[in-house]
Amino acid sequence: MIMSTQLVCLFAAGAFIVIGLFAAIFIDNIIKKIIGIAFIEEGVNLFIVTLGYKAGGVVPIFLENMSPDWFVANSAYPLPQALVLTSIVIGASTLAVMLALAMVLYKKHGSLSTKVILGDKND
Amino acid sequence: MMDMLIPLMVIIPIICALMVNILHGKDKLMRWVSLIVAIIFPIIAIIASLGTQYFGGHNSSLISSALPATLASVSSLSPGIVYVFANINRIFIFLVGIVVFLSLFTYFSERKKLSGPYLFLIFMGVASVTALLLSNDIFNMYVFFEIVALTQVGIIIASSSEYKYETAFKYLILGSIGGPMLLLGIGFILAVVGSVNIADIVAVISTNVVNPLATPLIFAFALMFFGWLYVSGLPPFHTIKSELYSRARPNGAAILQAFSVICMIAFGIAIYRIFVYVPFFKPAIIIFSLLAMVLGVSMALMQNDFRRMIAFLAVGELGFIGLGFGIGTQLSITAALFQAANELIITALLFIGFGTVYYLTKTSDTKKLGGLITVSPKMAIMVLLGGFAMAGVPPFNGFQSKIMLVQSALNAGLPELAIVAVIVSIVTFFTFVKAFHTVYLQPKPANLKFAHKKIPAIATFSVAVLLIICLILGILPDLVTKIFIPFAGGLI
Repeated sequence: MIMSTQLVCLFAAGAFIVIGLFAAIFIDNIIKKIIGIAFIEEGVNLFIVTLGYKAGGVVPIFLENMSPDWFVANSAYPLPQALVLTSIVIGASTLAVMLALAMVLYKKHGSLSTKVILGDKND
Repeated sequence: MMDMLIPLMVIIPIICALMVNILHGKDKLMRWVSLIVAIIFPIIAIIASLGTQYFGGHNSSLISSALPATLASVSSLSPGIVYVFANINRIFIFLVGIVVFLSLFTYFSERKKLSGPYLFLIFMGVASVTALLLSNDIFNMYVFFEIVALTQVGIIIASSSEYKYETAFKYLILGSIGGPMLLLGIGFILAVVGSVNIADIVAVISTNVVNPLATPLIFAFALMFFGWLYVSGLPPFHTIKSELYSRARPNGAAILQAFSVICMIAFGIAIYRIFVYVPFFKPAIIIFSLLAMVLGVSMALMQNDFRRMIAFLAVGELGFIGLGFGIGTQLSITAALFQAANELIITALLFIGFGTVYYLTKTSDTKKLGGLITVSPKMAIMVLLGGFAMAGVPPFNGFQSKIMLVQSALNAGLPELAIVAVIVSIVTFFTFVKAFHTVYLQPKPANLKFAHKKIPAIATFSVAVLLIICLILGILPDLVTKIFIPFAGGLI
């Protein structure tokens, strides 16, 4: 049951990435493209954080009432969590810049279509 | 004591970035702060002693029982973030520092009103590429690369190019696919090895603690290789990378290409160290490098815009670097590193040098240009010599690295690669001379208008300094190759 939790997360991560890639590559609307990219980023984050999952484990925060041996035996591996935290920040920053650019491009071209926006660029 | 200079190489540009952003509007102060930091930065790279800087982390013996089984056997485990400052880092950080200093110097001479956010982006980029070079950890490298990518986007947006937003958006979209693929590759390595520290990963894989040909590691290689293509601007990302350079201000493009070369080298070395055992590793690098060389020069040949032409030539030159890694001998990797150092300088020279044409006429369309040798003869000669350096004409540095690369291909029993390298160099020469003739030598069009009557003396100074470096490295290649040779030996 617990093992399947990890598997489900890995499948979900794979699904996020595939759906995101499809949207980013094939969908014309730039907002939907950005949503697709958010899917890719979250899929990768889910994949990495799942790697640190430990069946029946506890969060890797050492508290006073814990014995070191018990903590070592039961805590999840903290490295993936630390990495994902950073990755989320990067993803949010990139997303913010992309959304800001989408607004500017919409104001400039009056459309959210990639064909219109990039098709107008002819220099 | 001196080791504290290692993190300072990252901290000082970050502090400067924050300061110039706050000082926006106070031009004189921004100018001084930027110039002082731009001067200090390469000096620190020269005087800092070699060594390793540990950030946080715990004694590995204390936490060994909590580590994944794969890492238990690694005696030199590094549980914290680690910066490694070696001689090769010194060279590249110094060269980036020189390019940034001269580009900023030129920017200040061309504009009365400065932009704090633009300078912020440049210094954040400098801090990030420095950290990227120093970091011995693939996740940190990914993080710093993402910051570099965002600063590159910002530098494009800060330019006056008409289609800057479209280019920035396209680059971000492609980056948002390439970046996560790189991270996914790192995730696969983490899944197998349990660490993102490069030294630990190499130790675990080379001692067969994990199966080096395990499927997740092959997946990791494929994904990280794809990420590396994006990071470097090799095909299929060559078009967007060259578009990026051509949209930026010429002095900004000089900095952008320097960032790209550093990212390519840093990730190239990391991927080489981790995956060199993969059977199709070297052929894959060679194929994409050849594609970059051929597509780069052939697309450069078709351009009527000299900024785009230089941008495509720069992409083609990246192929030479990749080719050196792909051949995979000590001589070829030395040639690749030397070529990277040379490209950093030569492309900056051409962007700043040809950038003066844009400064004078506000156009980079070669059809509208001509006769500029009468306006700036000194600059014209220096640009011509810079083009010779790029094409590999002696006695410049490009000749030394390219002849070394050709020699290494012949030594490795791959004469066909040597032939392609020579042909691409000849086409590069032809492309450059054609553009030079059009811009400087053909009769001046009657309707050519000038935005400025003469080029700033500082731009001439910047190009002269870069040309002198090209000449010094061409006459005395040992200055750098004596450092690259042992490094390349250690890598293979």
